[in-house]
Amino acid sequence: MMRNSKLILAAVALALSGCSSLGGAGEGFGSAYYSLVRVGSRQVGDGSMAVTAPRPWNRTRKLFLFDDVRWVEDWTLNGPLLDGMSFVSGLPSGKYLIRQRRTEDRQVPKFRSDMSAPEVTAMLESLYRVRGGAVDFRTTSLQPRTFLGTNGFQFDFEHLDSDELWRRGRAVGAVVNGRLYLILFDAARSHYFGSAVGDFEAMAASARLRR
Amino acid sequence: MCWRCHELDRRSLLVGGGIATAALSTGVAQARIRPADMKPLIGPGFRPTDTDEIGLWQQMQRVEEEVAGSNLLIKDPALIRYLQDLIGTVGGPAAKDMRIYLAHIPDFNAVMFPSGFAVIFSGLLLRMRNEAQLAGVIAHESGHFLRRHMIRSWRDLKRKSDIFAIGSMALGVAGGATGVYTGDIAQLAQLGTILSLFRYSREMEAEADAMGARLLADNGYPAIEMANTWEQLIGEEDASARHRRKRRDRGGSLFATHPAPGARMADLKVSAAEVTVPGRAYDSRRARYLQAISPIRKMLLDDQVKLNDPGASQYLIETLARDGWNGLLRFYEAEVWRLRNRHGDDLRAAQGYAVAVAYPDAPPEAWRWHGLSLIKAGRQAEGRAALTRYLALQPNAADAPFIRQMVS
Repeated sequence: MMRNSKLILAAVALALSGCSSLGGAGEGFGSAYYSLVRVGSRQVGDGSMAVTAPRPWNRTRKLFLFDDVRWVEDWTLNGPLLDGMSFVSGLPSGKYLIRQRRTEDRQVPKFRSDMSAPEVTAMLESLYRVRGGAVDFRTTSLQPRTFLGTNGFQFDFEHLDSDELWRRGRAVGAVVNGRLYLILFDAARSHYFGSAVGDFEAMAASARLRR
Repeated sequence: MCWRCHELDRRSLLVGGGIATAALSTGVAQARIRPADMKPLIGPGFRPTDTDEIGLWQQMQRVEEEVAGSNLLIKDPALIRYLQDLIGTVGGPAAKDMRIYLAHIPDFNAVMFPSGFAVIFSGLLLRMRNEAQLAGVIAHESGHFLRRHMIRSWRDLKRKSDIFAIGSMALGVAGGATGVYTGDIAQLAQLGTILSLFRYSREMEAEADAMGARLLADNGYPAIEMANTWEQLIGEEDASARHRRKRRDRGGSLFATHPAPGARMADLKVSAAEVTVPGRAYDSRRARYLQAISPIRKMLLDDQVKLNDPGASQYLIETLARDGWNGLLRFYEAEVWRLRNRHGDDLRAAQGYAVAVAYPDAPPEAWRWHGLSLIKAGRQAEGRAALTRYLALQPNAADAPFIRQMVS
């Protein structure tokens, strides 16, 4: 999940330099940044969670030493500016959802195994504010929801980012054996959220633990 | 999640902008400029007559249209009227010509554009302890306009630098200011960077300070509050850096455009004494200020604290609390600790929430977190009682379904 701004800038710069990223380097007709996710069951993150994709998605590559948090994986349908699905496959206590420098002024809080759902959602809110450039963030709902066969939560929210676009998101999560499992969908509020939230629901329902 | 961070990092933007303008700073220590010497260079209804300035104004008109249409603006009519009145008070001869916009960006900054409109960042309003401090910042920015600093620095830059480089920079400005608006850059913050092309020299900053001190005192504000604002900003940046175990980064916020903060603070103190007329009553108008920002104060605190910059946030809250603690400040103090999440912080936060709910004006969220932390500590019954109180205060809260389940 959450590449930081530099990665996106790199991607944008590539796109601007003559669309060479399409049909260029990388496998098939994808780009170096994405690989195809086919319909069907698939392990995500470090492999300890599996979901069933109802239609093809694009998986974002991780960059070594940059956003290679092994428990986190990002997918997108129309590009990360418009929509994104993130999977967290058992983040251990004391770890962060993203890589960040210790000296950064503003930091995403670390996960702790004793966090309650409201604390996890507060951590996600800070993620959006600190790393996503959200200037306004509104929780629209937090409710109990079974996830991975255990008592989890569903978190609905909207945020206005500094690119002046309102986005809408939904996450389902649960802490299992002290580790955080989460699927998070976030997309432009107009059109893109509605058009792919069905995929999110299907994957949340199909999610299961391996091991 | 946030790789929509084509939100450029504001800090790096400001630092980047600094490169273009380094040429403007002579690096020579600047003698203090006396407020008495600061006469406005323009009168009411000023319009440019030189070709280059006319062109600049035309570009800025487009920028202003972008700003005015941005959905990052806070539009609270009463608050905007208040800010407009303020610039109308301390704006000197151009008071009635200037416009002011309030952007929802949790940073300490304010920008005056060459054609006489100012953008205030919401983070600035959080940090001001009274109206005099806010008026000081606005008066300083007005000073740039009244002393025609933008066109002066623009011409200075053109004279000193490679003409082609200037051309491409101007193109960049035009790109930001015309139809091909590069919408993918953090809009208002980015406009600040465009403006960094018009970065002012130390002399101009000193002029704006002196002009500002004079405008402040003329309108019955204690001019010393300008120096206090600086002291607070230096304190905050130091506290933030100390928490992350590093030195203060002068690239961020106002420091990027305002060199040598210590020296300026000292100059401002002398200037404040100079413009203060013995026997005259000065009023910082704190009550009026708090009244004006009351509809958004909680939001401002929320915006800051959730950035999880604990050194800065704690310093800020303690600074605001010098005028008296209340439930809101106590709640956010505990929030700082909870998000900081170091060893022992959960206990510290739990105590903080307990203190906050003892205030009659504690926000409902204080009861929420008080309850959650009691439950975490194993005090189930008390925790449920606190959460029940939260639900009573906020029955339609977005998280009510989840909290209700915890209570039942």
